[in-house]
Amino acid sequence: MIEVIGVSKQFKNETAIDYRDMIFENGKSYMLLGASGCGKSTLLNMIAGILSAEQGKILIDGVNMSEKSQREKDRFRIEKIGYIFQDFKLIPDMTVMDNINILRLEGVDTSRAPALLKTLDIYEQRNKKIKHLSGGQKQRVAIVRALVKTPDIILADEPTGNLNFAIGEQVIQQLTSVAKGKTLIAVTHDDRLAKYFDVVVDMNEMTDGGRRDLVDGKEGA
Amino acid sequence: MFRFAIKNMLIKKIQIILIILSIVLSAGVGVLAYNVGEQVSDGISGTAGYYSAIIGPSGSATQLAMNTMYFTDEPLGTIPYTLVTELMQDTRVNEVIPFAMADSYNGSSVVGTTTGFLSSKTVGEGRLFDDHGEFEVVVGWSVAQMNELKVGDQLYTSHAAGDVHTQPLTVVGILEQSHTVYDNVVFTQLQTIWQVHDHGEEEHTEEEHEGEEEHDHSTHGMICAVLVKTKNPGYAMTLVNDYDGKVFSTADGESYSLQAIEPMATVRGVLEDTDNTKYIVFILCAIILLMNIIIISIITLLNMYHSAKEISLMRLIGISMKKINLLYLIQNSLIGLVSTVLAFGVSRVCLLFMGDYVASMGVVLNLATVYPMEWILLVAVFLISVLPTVVCTVLMSGRDGLAD
Repeated sequence: MIEVIGVSKQFKNETAIDYRDMIFENGKSYMLLGASGCGKSTLLNMIAGILSAEQGKILIDGVNMSEKSQREKDRFRIEKIGYIFQDFKLIPDMTVMDNINILRLEGVDTSRAPALLKTLDIYEQRNKKIKHLSGGQKQRVAIVRALVKTPDIILADEPTGNLNFAIGEQVIQQLTSVAKGKTLIAVTHDDRLAKYFDVVVDMNEMTDGGRRDLVDGKEGA
Repeated sequence: MFRFAIKNMLIKKIQIILIILSIVLSAGVGVLAYNVGEQVSDGISGTAGYYSAIIGPSGSATQLAMNTMYFTDEPLGTIPYTLVTELMQDTRVNEVIPFAMADSYNGSSVVGTTTGFLSSKTVGEGRLFDDHGEFEVVVGWSVAQMNELKVGDQLYTSHAAGDVHTQPLTVVGILEQSHTVYDNVVFTQLQTIWQVHDHGEEEHTEEEHEGEEEHDHSTHGMICAVLVKTKNPGYAMTLVNDYDGKVFSTADGESYSLQAIEPMATVRGVLEDTDNTKYIVFILCAIILLMNIIIISIITLLNMYHSAKEISLMRLIGISMKKINLLYLIQNSLIGLVSTVLAFGVSRVCLLFMGDYVASMGVVLNLATVYPMEWILLVAVFLISVLPTVVCTVLMSGRDGLAD
């Protein structure tokens, strides 16, 4: 279970987002909807330990991630979290398999990769360089890389952001299918994909409309 | 980790080839310059210390030393063999070796002398020539290799003018390879030189110069120099003083102006010039190396900077900074290792090609000779190529966290 309690995040551009308390239950899929800048991606990054909150805490199965060191957060991310990035975060000059096997640097077992690639219909492309793949194929590789380590939590930041609706829908179908039984939190703008998720969260409501300005870089009165 | 490092390097192969090329050229030239300088210096001074004094016709002291010890340059002229007889009776003298050089065999000098001249050399096949015999030769290792000579074969020497003598000479021995100038020389008895020459001159005069005014080309009883070993080093100086500038007269009234030199002192003078040149080359190489260190460091740092996207990507998916640094350290170590090995290889290949040129200076380069300083240079090159990664590691470990 992921608990977001009293979390506030400040940015260098002197704005801040205050999150309402939220709970993401284990084994359910969540779709975070909302306008740009309302803090959807920021929330995912804080859960993943990429960003840290200035106030409040994020508990994952009762463990306060805010108190962990960066190294511990990295370790947690590599072991427990599968993160799918909007811009894929793949190394373009490397092959599909190399991009997945990069996780072996941290001792991750990637033996499931071929099976996942087959499930996502990308197995034939396994020895192709990323730069030679289409957007949909790249997103599928990113999904395989996120899922190959059998994570407990899957975070997907705009997984269909670079894809047309038909391919995006297909990717979401496949993602929710392979992530069944895991905690899946996906950020998207497209409410037509809501039917594939257990819970839809309107982040505009959860952040009171998104960012607010800070006075002289500090909290206002 | 290692496999991934290799794959990551293959992605940037052009950039990596350029870095390796840059290191190989600078380090290779540096190592080569040092090696050649040292081998030339060792080769020259090693031979020079063998004789206490050299007596020959007056003229250039350097030419006399280089001709008699390294078989380079032309002899200064001739002096009568009776000088040898006189020196043998000198109580200060331990050994007297006559030296005559007039002919060549397929580009290799032919030296007429006694077996004493080859006392420090080992005969690989056959035997030394008989000092009292005729028409026998002992050939240097390279001469035998180049001309496919074996013991029992016959060869024909030619005069400096290019005329081939008709008198065959028999190979009685082949010297073991010594990596010295002796490898490139044919040695024979003095008598043989005189006989072959006089025989050649007779034919020359009769067949080609009929009617021309006959002039005396006879070298019979003439030598180019005398190499002397004194009983103790102190005698060398007095002997040189006695014979330098002396006019030596023969029984038939011919007079010859002599010079006497201490070969070590003469060669030291030559080496001082060589050493200066060597250090200039060495300093130039050091400057090239330094410039390359800077260039390599900048290239590697820029490479790391451009790899920032790759690094941040790896950080985002959870790869620790420690593993990323290790990855780049492996990559740069491989670059350093390959470059160092290639630099050494390039220096040896260049040494091979320089062999003929340096042999003409009287020194045979040995490819297997590696000086401790060369290892130090190569280790330094390896460390320098890894250094930028260490710098980056230190810089990046200071900001281990992911930026907000």
